[in-house]
Amino acid sequence: MAAARPSSAPPPGAPDFWYASLRVFDLSLGDMIWSRRTIFMLLVVGLPVLMAVVVRLIHALGAAPMSIERTEITGPMMFGFMIWMFFVRFCVPILAVFYGTSLIADEVDDKTITYLFTRPIPRGAVLVGKYLAYLVCTVSVVLPAVVLVWLFVLPIGGSLGAGFVDLVTDLGVLALGLAVYGAFFALIGAVLKRPLLFGLAFVLGWEQVVLAIPGYLKRFSVAYYVQGLVPHTMPNDSAVSLIQGMMREIPSLPESLLWMGLIEAVCLWLAARTVARREYVLEQ
Amino acid sequence: MTKPTRYFLIGSVVVVAAGLATGLVAYYNGGLTFRSSSEPAEFSYLPAGSAAVAYADVRAVMDSNFRQRLRQVLPTGDEQERLRAEIGVDIERDIDTVVASFVADGGPAGGGAVVLVRGRFNEATIEAKAVEHGGVVESYKGKRIITMGGPADAVASASGGCVAFLESGLLALGDVASVKRAIDTRTSGDDVTKSADLMKIVNELQGSGNAWVVGRLDGLTKAEDLPAPVRDQLGAVQLFAARLHIDGGVSGLLRAEARDDQAAEQLRDVVRGVLAAGRLVSGADTRVEAVLNSFQLQGTGRTVTLSFSVPAEVFDIVNGLAALGGLAEQPRKTPGGK
Repeated sequence: MAAARPSSAPPPGAPDFWYASLRVFDLSLGDMIWSRRTIFMLLVVGLPVLMAVVVRLIHALGAAPMSIERTEITGPMMFGFMIWMFFVRFCVPILAVFYGTSLIADEVDDKTITYLFTRPIPRGAVLVGKYLAYLVCTVSVVLPAVVLVWLFVLPIGGSLGAGFVDLVTDLGVLALGLAVYGAFFALIGAVLKRPLLFGLAFVLGWEQVVLAIPGYLKRFSVAYYVQGLVPHTMPNDSAVSLIQGMMREIPSLPESLLWMGLIEAVCLWLAARTVARREYVLEQ
Repeated sequence: MTKPTRYFLIGSVVVVAAGLATGLVAYYNGGLTFRSSSEPAEFSYLPAGSAAVAYADVRAVMDSNFRQRLRQVLPTGDEQERLRAEIGVDIERDIDTVVASFVADGGPAGGGAVVLVRGRFNEATIEAKAVEHGGVVESYKGKRIITMGGPADAVASASGGCVAFLESGLLALGDVASVKRAIDTRTSGDDVTKSADLMKIVNELQGSGNAWVVGRLDGLTKAEDLPAPVRDQLGAVQLFAARLHIDGGVSGLLRAEARDDQAAEQLRDVVRGVLAAGRLVSGADTRVEAVLNSFQLQGTGRTVTLSFSVPAEVFDIVNGLAALGGLAEQPRKTPGGK
């Protein structure tokens, strides 16, 4: 079995960390955008766009407004629901799992990591560059989808002007959510052997459970801090006191931003450090 | 970076930028609703400093199934018949929309409310009836106004009642100062559409109900006739909005934006307490229970939202119980026919 040796200090004249990261970013971005994962991502984010187009067509053809228990469902309500239930609670974490856990794992599986590690660049720069490529790739697909949904859906019983500030907020939150989740799963991908399974269990299992349980456990999830950024989209159900209690335990905006920044910085640093120090054993 | 990758990223940026640019233009123009119905033309008469704006699509309300059911429960007013006989206006058929605004602080002229009624009116009949009751017909900036209680320029009658014919089919009702302010607003163009915070909520409510009201409580609390304790309590709420949609039943939404998260949470606690008290007091009353069960309290942060829906079946219950009450009150026939 061949082994990649941990790198020593880069030779004199070698590019610095950030320049190396940008070069890796440039190299990885094209591969990431034109990969099979991106087709999966386009299908995932394309679904709400398709739904928005259908809803808009139905509305344009003169159908009666949708209503639930005599409460008319307006465009702003639909958009808020889509942002919260689909993009924030599903799309962002799932994309981060599939992309973030594979940043280094794919290179190891393809046995191409050796070529990256033989370059005179810090190993951590490889991870950071790939992370930046992931961020640009996912943001460039998710954000346009959100904007298209907004343009199609919001004018139904609402106005674009009234919903503009919320759109800007939601775009920022989604980008931040992709960044934080991506950093977390980049660390998972660097540390664990089967990061995808752990990532899916974390997103679809742990986060769903701890968010429903009152107490401090929810602080050990990323979704808890993300939901503090989008209170204007969160649905409320006054019929269930437990959910009411859950919905009240929302961190403040500064607290959410602080913890999300910390999570991203720490996870990214730990991931880069792990990649730099770990000895990757490539299976023959 | 390869060319296809570059084009992909450029395309993505273009889509996002186009959407943001569209939204920005709509935000600063206060609309871009892209709906067939534009904001009411009456908004051009409402001053920019309006503390509250209200709208009612009277036509839709009168034509609704709910109104028909209500007529079975509540008797039609004699006042309505008297109005039709005197000025030739049938409230149920001749009035299309009503738009109103309230100005709390109107400068030297003071505050006041103006109501704009659009429909089909016989102006000659209205004018003749007003003059018959002591009204004085005058002209103000090309508009004919009828003041009750003396000439409009007299100080004593500045707050007196006034009717003005603004356009064909559009009447203004209110005190003299408010009606004149409405006419001045139309001329100057400094109308309520310039008030971004009010129009933001107005645009959200328009098209989603056939009656709504939006107001700034900080403007309303400036009214001098409001008791000080009430004014202090209302200070916790900055903006309020209410929307009603009347078709077969009645559904509505009440929304308040509080001063801060704590005030909003306290307001939510108050509403929960009121609903709980209502359920406690209602007992086994099915009518009240049906209405209370439709109330849904929502909102996070500084926003408190209460939605409700009174289905048409509630009025069937009311009708049925009223009919039973009528039967119970019939006099009993004694034996022998006495």
